[in-house]
Amino acid sequence: MFRKVLIANRGEIAVRVMRTLREMDIAAVAVFSDADRTSLHVRMADEAEWIGPSPSAESYLRIDRILEAASRHGAEAIHPGYGFLSENADFAAACESAGIVFIGPPAESIRRMGSKIAARQMAIAAGAPVVPGAHEALRSPAEARAFARQFGYPVLLKAVAGGGGKGMRRVDADTQVDSAFRDAASEAERSFKNPELYVEKLIERPRHIEIQLLGDRYGHMVHFGERECSIQRRHQKVMEECPSPLVAARPGMREAMGEAAIRVALSAGYYNAGTVEFLVDAHGDFYFLEMNTRLQVEHPITELVTGHDLVRLQLEVAAGEKLRLRQEDIAWRGSAIECRVYAEDPYNNFFPSPGKITRLTRPLGPGVRLDGCVYDGWIVPIDYDPLLAKLAVWNGTRESAIARMVRALREYDVGGIHTNITFFRQILEDEEFRAGRLHTGFVDQFLERRKPFAPPPDLESIAALVAAFHSAQSATHPHSSPAPRSRWLDIGRHEALR
Amino acid sequence: MNQIVAVEPGVYSVLMDGRSYEARIEQSNGCVVVFIDGHRFEIEIRDPRRWSRQTGRQGAEGRLNVTAPMPGKIVRLLVAQGDAVAAGQGLLVMEAMKMQNEMKAPKAGRVVSITAHEGATVAAGDVLAAIE
Repeated sequence: MFRKVLIANRGEIAVRVMRTLREMDIAAVAVFSDADRTSLHVRMADEAEWIGPSPSAESYLRIDRILEAASRHGAEAIHPGYGFLSENADFAAACESAGIVFIGPPAESIRRMGSKIAARQMAIAAGAPVVPGAHEALRSPAEARAFARQFGYPVLLKAVAGGGGKGMRRVDADTQVDSAFRDAASEAERSFKNPELYVEKLIERPRHIEIQLLGDRYGHMVHFGERECSIQRRHQKVMEECPSPLVAARPGMREAMGEAAIRVALSAGYYNAGTVEFLVDAHGDFYFLEMNTRLQVEHPITELVTGHDLVRLQLEVAAGEKLRLRQEDIAWRGSAIECRVYAEDPYNNFFPSPGKITRLTRPLGPGVRLDGCVYDGWIVPIDYDPLLAKLAVWNGTRESAIARMVRALREYDVGGIHTNITFFRQILEDEEFRAGRLHTGFVDQFLERRKPFAPPPDLESIAALVAAFHSAQSATHPHSSPAPRSRWLDIGRHEALR
Repeated sequence: MNQIVAVEPGVYSVLMDGRSYEARIEQSNGCVVVFIDGHRFEIEIRDPRRWSRQTGRQGAEGRLNVTAPMPGKIVRLLVAQGDAVAAGQGLLVMEAMKMQNEMKAPKAGRVVSITAHEGATVAAGDVLAAIE
């Protein structure tokens, strides 16, 4: 096993990786930018090195500086976390040629999975279902009709050269094909100077469900089941759960998805941890979307339900050990939910809210796990993703896990900045959410139907009372609130007076 | 017995009619903000014993400035000087922390000045536009 590992990341994931390194008695080397000198990952590390100014392009994305730091500190391996360089094939290759182990898949697998088209072709070759579609230009509306008759309406006409919804039309019946084809083609011509269209089956109200994989360098791979990640805002996951309420209700679905995911990953020569993302329709049919070739943000819920430390397993297989786990060793117990706590204002269009943390009370107690990078007095930097912490809970059933999450969120207090903590409380109270009727458009619809986060009637008068009391107190004891005096200062003054 | 006890700096434990509450205080320009169970209350304290300069909160009357809530970059202007705008209408798009956000008109009126320009870097509190 390694004796020293560098973490090429920051924030909560750097702290998360460091915790497992500690437990394995491996020294942790942190890297940091100007903005992060006082960040928790630097404070917690055994060794740390400055790698550049705050913008990530000048620090956390600088392959040369990270490799220099690794060799100067004698790190034998690099954990990339997620984001930054974690899915950069050149970085993985550069590590290997510098004689440093990249804790992740081989560079070639990252490269192959990095292209959506190549990944889709690999999935087809491996026999995994993909969203039915002909990714080549249609010659006529008749071809679109023939496709729709084979796979069923609704279908989507999309511009071959397209993106951003331009040149895209939904079609629900044979009679609409001609006009939709004409409109989409002329819009595509105007937007991209290319009128070519292709057709794809439209998955309505899709769920986003992913499968966690882990494999060793010798071709042995297991899956750790699914995570439901349909609660998204701005196409970014904010809340995840394991098991998926849909998968849990369908015998055999987890196994089918797991096997399909393993087939795709192995066909790309994959090893270490990775996640295969699927779109799932209302009937439980699943379609390969893409593969994330790294540890996922939401991995803790899988750890809570399966009892395995995925970072430890990553380190073991990266060090060349055989994966001793068999598929039948992996069992799923209870239910876990994760909320991504962001410095943002959920009542002002999720506007980022960086700044100084003036108060902090963390949730504790049974079944609560908090992966964070926040401390009282820390200033949330403006340069990076404003993720403060991932709050995860475990309990025996989905219902009791929801109750536990509400309880934990009520204990959680972050002062000085806005957070989305109360937004999660509202989602967890939502009937559609409780019924498990999830899809990727859930948050948008929820925002339209949500009621204001209204306080019980007695609270306002209590608040007024406390405000008056506080104000009167600070008027009579104006110096009672500043930071506590240092005992050293007192002793110093005392000594000076002797 | 009803009680208010300071338990930590800025944190009060309230016992009222047999119920227990925890209240947390934040000072915010001129008023006291109290948090109880995730709910936020802005309380204005008027204490005649204290000399206080009434800043005169900007209401719906007169000129209202739109300021940058945090440091960032102006991506796009959505209105021009002289435009009539509705309350809540987007004025400009600002990028901060890798996210783009629309700054909205705080009230209906006319854009009397727009000091921001596309591509400009702004600091928190900078005046971007004014509505009258």
